[in-house]
Amino acid sequence: MFKKKTLPELIEELRSNENIVNWYEMQPQEAKTTPFDDSVDPRIRSALHKRGISELYTHQGTAFRLASNAENIVAVTPTASGKTLCYNLPVLQAIAKDETSRALYLFPTKALAQDQKSELNEIIDEMGIDIKSYTYDGDTSPAIRQIVRKAGHIVITNPDMLHSAILPHHTKWVSLFENLKYIVIDELHTYRGVFGSHVANVIRRLKRICKFYGSKPTFICTSATIANPKELAEQLTGSPMRLIDDNGAPRGRKHFVFYNPPIVNVPLNIRKSATVEVNHLAKEFLKNKIQTIVFARSRVRVEIILSHIQELVKNQIGTKSIRGYRGGYLPKQRREIERGLRDGEILGVVSTNALELGVDIGQLQVCVMTGYPGSIASTWQQAGRAGRRHGEALILMVASSTPIDQYIVQNPEYFFDRNPESARINPENLIILVDHIRCAAYELPFKNTEEFGPVEVSEILEYLQEERVLHRNGDTFYWANQAFPASEISLRSASQENVVIVDQSNVADVRIIGEMDRFSAMTLLHDEAIYLHEGVQFQVEKLDWDHKKAYVREVDVEYYTDANLAVNLKVLEIDKTRSSRNGAVHQGDVAVTMIPTIFKKIKLTTFENIGSGPIHLPEQELHTRATWLELKDTDPEIGTKILEQLLLGIANVIQHIVPVMVMCDRSDVHVTSQIKAAHTGLPTIFIYDHYPGGIGLADDVFKRFDDVKQAAANLIKKCSCKDGCPSCIGNEIEGINGKQKSVQLLSML
Amino acid sequence: MSSLRDKMNRLRGSSSAPPSEETAAAIAAHESQAEPAADGDQLETLSEEWSSMGVKLLHNEGGSFLMRRLVYPAQHKHGIHCIGELPGAVSGLSAFHETPVDAEQLLYLDLETTGLGVGTGNVPFMVGLAYWSGGELIVEQAVIRHPAEERAMLYYLNGKLGSYRYLVSYNGKTFDWPVMQTRFIMNGYNRKLWEPLHLDFLHPSRSIWKNTLASLRLSHVEEERLGIERIDDVPGSLAPQLYFQFLADGNPEPLRGVYQHNEIDMLSLVCLSIRFGHLLNGTVEGGFRLPMPEESEELIRTGLWLEKMGHADRAECMFEAALASNRTAASTLNMLAARDKKAGNWQRAVLLWQKALVQSVQYGTAGMNASVELAMYFEHKLKDYDSALSYVTEALELALSHPLGRRDAKRRDEIEGLRKRKERLLRKTGRKLAE
Repeated sequence: MFKKKTLPELIEELRSNENIVNWYEMQPQEAKTTPFDDSVDPRIRSALHKRGISELYTHQGTAFRLASNAENIVAVTPTASGKTLCYNLPVLQAIAKDETSRALYLFPTKALAQDQKSELNEIIDEMGIDIKSYTYDGDTSPAIRQIVRKAGHIVITNPDMLHSAILPHHTKWVSLFENLKYIVIDELHTYRGVFGSHVANVIRRLKRICKFYGSKPTFICTSATIANPKELAEQLTGSPMRLIDDNGAPRGRKHFVFYNPPIVNVPLNIRKSATVEVNHLAKEFLKNKIQTIVFARSRVRVEIILSHIQELVKNQIGTKSIRGYRGGYLPKQRREIERGLRDGEILGVVSTNALELGVDIGQLQVCVMTGYPGSIASTWQQAGRAGRRHGEALILMVASSTPIDQYIVQNPEYFFDRNPESARINPENLIILVDHIRCAAYELPFKNTEEFGPVEVSEILEYLQEERVLHRNGDTFYWANQAFPASEISLRSASQENVVIVDQSNVADVRIIGEMDRFSAMTLLHDEAIYLHEGVQFQVEKLDWDHKKAYVREVDVEYYTDANLAVNLKVLEIDKTRSSRNGAVHQGDVAVTMIPTIFKKIKLTTFENIGSGPIHLPEQELHTRATWLELKDTDPEIGTKILEQLLLGIANVIQHIVPVMVMCDRSDVHVTSQIKAAHTGLPTIFIYDHYPGGIGLADDVFKRFDDVKQAAANLIKKCSCKDGCPSCIGNEIEGINGKQKSVQLLSML
Repeated sequence: MSSLRDKMNRLRGSSSAPPSEETAAAIAAHESQAEPAADGDQLETLSEEWSSMGVKLLHNEGGSFLMRRLVYPAQHKHGIHCIGELPGAVSGLSAFHETPVDAEQLLYLDLETTGLGVGTGNVPFMVGLAYWSGGELIVEQAVIRHPAEERAMLYYLNGKLGSYRYLVSYNGKTFDWPVMQTRFIMNGYNRKLWEPLHLDFLHPSRSIWKNTLASLRLSHVEEERLGIERIDDVPGSLAPQLYFQFLADGNPEPLRGVYQHNEIDMLSLVCLSIRFGHLLNGTVEGGFRLPMPEESEELIRTGLWLEKMGHADRAECMFEAALASNRTAASTLNMLAARDKKAGNWQRAVLLWQKALVQSVQYGTAGMNASVELAMYFEHKLKDYDSALSYVTEALELALSHPLGRRDAKRRDEIEGLRKRKERLLRKTGRKLAE
């Protein structure tokens, strides 16, 4: 008969597994608590008491004390440390004390806002005070909207709604803006890159409007562990912040284990599929009835792993107790899964990073990651899903064959000894800034001396006057245009003039299913491209470039498409240079011209090239920020051809390293190499921001170039292949000692 | 300056296009213009262009703005109505809020704005007002020469509004008044400075002319129903552009057309209120009688509206007139049948549905809807399952033969519902499903 094993038993067994490459143990920590402040309303106290909360963790106590004193705070809170109380307590207290008080909650997604409303309303019900909290988003019905605007004490929304619906209509929200005491920004770390840069400007607009109505709200932010929470919060809100990071929540012992699947193809250095390994590992835990969460990197991957695991354990436990979770599931379905996980009815869940954010699913015992989640911060967020307050927990990261996964598992100190990544934003990106000044001018006239963030804006106002968007009278600039600017600006997209993706599979029901920036569209939405949307294949029937529309139809084919992009770079201006013995690193403005040439059809199962076709699209120019590495006096014996391949290999490695170092999506930063750069004729590698004007990523690479260089050299050295493989510099260079030469080249810088 | 423009153009990936000559010249012209005096400068006079339009400069504590004031005597005829009919007609309007209405309590409002929507950046550059005073109709058109004059205009309006009880408009409940409220709030006024009772004639116009008129725009309604013809009218949609042109070059000439357009809008709005007043009153002194609508759909819709407004007594003759016609569309008959069904007048409802069924065109849904109603009537009221079955069978056939029948989800649900109804009736009549 099958005898169930306990988690400690399974952990012991795992210790002897030969594929384990690193075992890290985190010691348990006792709770650090502090009694409720005397000022807390007795009704709130008794409501919390009913929920089993009779004391506060130290960080909650500090948050309450500072926020009640109108100090802006950012609380760094690992998963499941009771972060919601950090803001709910001061907010509820303020309303209990004075019922005219108002608060605005910002969540990055609608789903999180919904969750928060349910949780908040449970406490409010138990308090027995008439506090109204509402979500305000695209789904809110017109009848409710009126009530929310007039009577909502707590308005829960997202930055997009604030930008396009609330701020441009602020006169309908007088009671909110006149009495706004708190602005809560949850999941602060998600506001980075282009999105964060936009949101920082939306908050500048919000503060402007608050000032107009005479309120001066206090900001309460919460963030996952990142290297620069205080800096990010200050940049995002334009206000000084107090950092709270004395987490007082208790935690049990945690084992953090790196698992590297065995090599199955030595010459190509290909390892056994992480997915297959994850299936088997997860099965072990699930059949012993140990609650497990499996993270996968894509929605498709979630479905694949889910069906495999359900199949593997169907005889031991019901398939119903193992569920998938990802964006695209209906809210009702997701709520049901969350509840199932909390009360233990659901034993296993396979999820995308959708469960990385603060949705409440209770604490599980085991977390299995299929591949490195892409950033240290994100890894800790996912790891935080496992770990009860008492007892042991296990976190398993199963590496895939990609260079970065291999780098992480072979350099565990990189992960455990280093601070997590910094989140970067650049609210002063000219395009983003000008867009939001347009919106701000629509909302309230601008005085020419007025500040909007740290930069002088009178020049921009004059520019907009020339463009006949603003009208100047005396020292004031007024909106004088027929447009509604907020509708033209999307906070989430990488560049202006997005290509809209139109699904015409069903003639009677033609729908817009998404949008994409024009640079990415060149290689992903050209005629005949296969475009994946929520795991469904679509073929582009026609890309109407002039009108920026891509017409797609659902298909079911055996291949994907891969487009070639010819890239040309021109240096416009060099801002900074750091020279070394045989090379230099520069930072400055570049013009990138891109023209897609052909696309290949590649078979899904074998990666064979099964066809190709031309792409006819006009050349596009991108002006952006770049950091570039220049090599002088390279060894003449290497030869041009080989040097070119070496550069390509190094560029490949840097492309993998940089997104991890500067915390951004892979597509935010591009790396390209040139054997003879146009401006110098020297071998050069360019790293540039894939957004007009740049968002600070390439600048960050310049600042931290030594780290990037070190990481690149380490990745190449520690890769277990003999002399180059797709996981590092590529495998096209044979018999020339490519790995060693690449490291040498890097050391010249 | 140009460096910022160049940079923006480079980042946007567009070629560096300098502002067109026209624009540049316009800007230069505007910049050379002397800024208007800040406030209360009595010496400031308006140029000839303005005075030729009858525009005067007004000053108050908020600064200055422009005013064009027109007086229409009672005898003035606008389309088929005479302005002087107003005091007699307004008593009918008391049906809207069940409060008595006096002509001097009405304030008519129509805005010309710089954009669409009710966002905070949409500014009314012309505020048209009209009111009845001392046996005459006064039309006032306030205009701001630049955004900074708004303060003075609002100051004036604020002093005016409080004396009226009703705000008369065309779509003013959702557009003109919210826009004004936004302007007041943005200029520091209390958001509850005036809470009028709305008489927004877009709503009754929609109730009555929804399907008979091609458009419910005021300019169309007035032409079709008030006998008003506009000559060389500047469409309201062009108003923002004309105003921006004026803002850029300071020449008021393009505004002449906007003034006229707004003036006619005001008069038409007054006539529309006269028309609805008459309609609700039945007849008026002086023997004026509204012509009965010609189309039966309009007759029925008018009747239904009168009934809703508490004049059921006069609705019936409209219905009778509509039924006398043989050209009444099936959908119109269904509309009246629905009313009869609600009122419990089953006899006529059944007749109407049967008539609708006979008259329904091949591809419409009216025939199907009528059959469904008849099926329900025979099944539930008369318990005549055989007749009900034949009607539901007919409804199902009509639904399935509809060219778009199987496409959309709502239609699919309807068909599913009909199938279920048919199955039930088959059971009740004891027949087999195989049929």
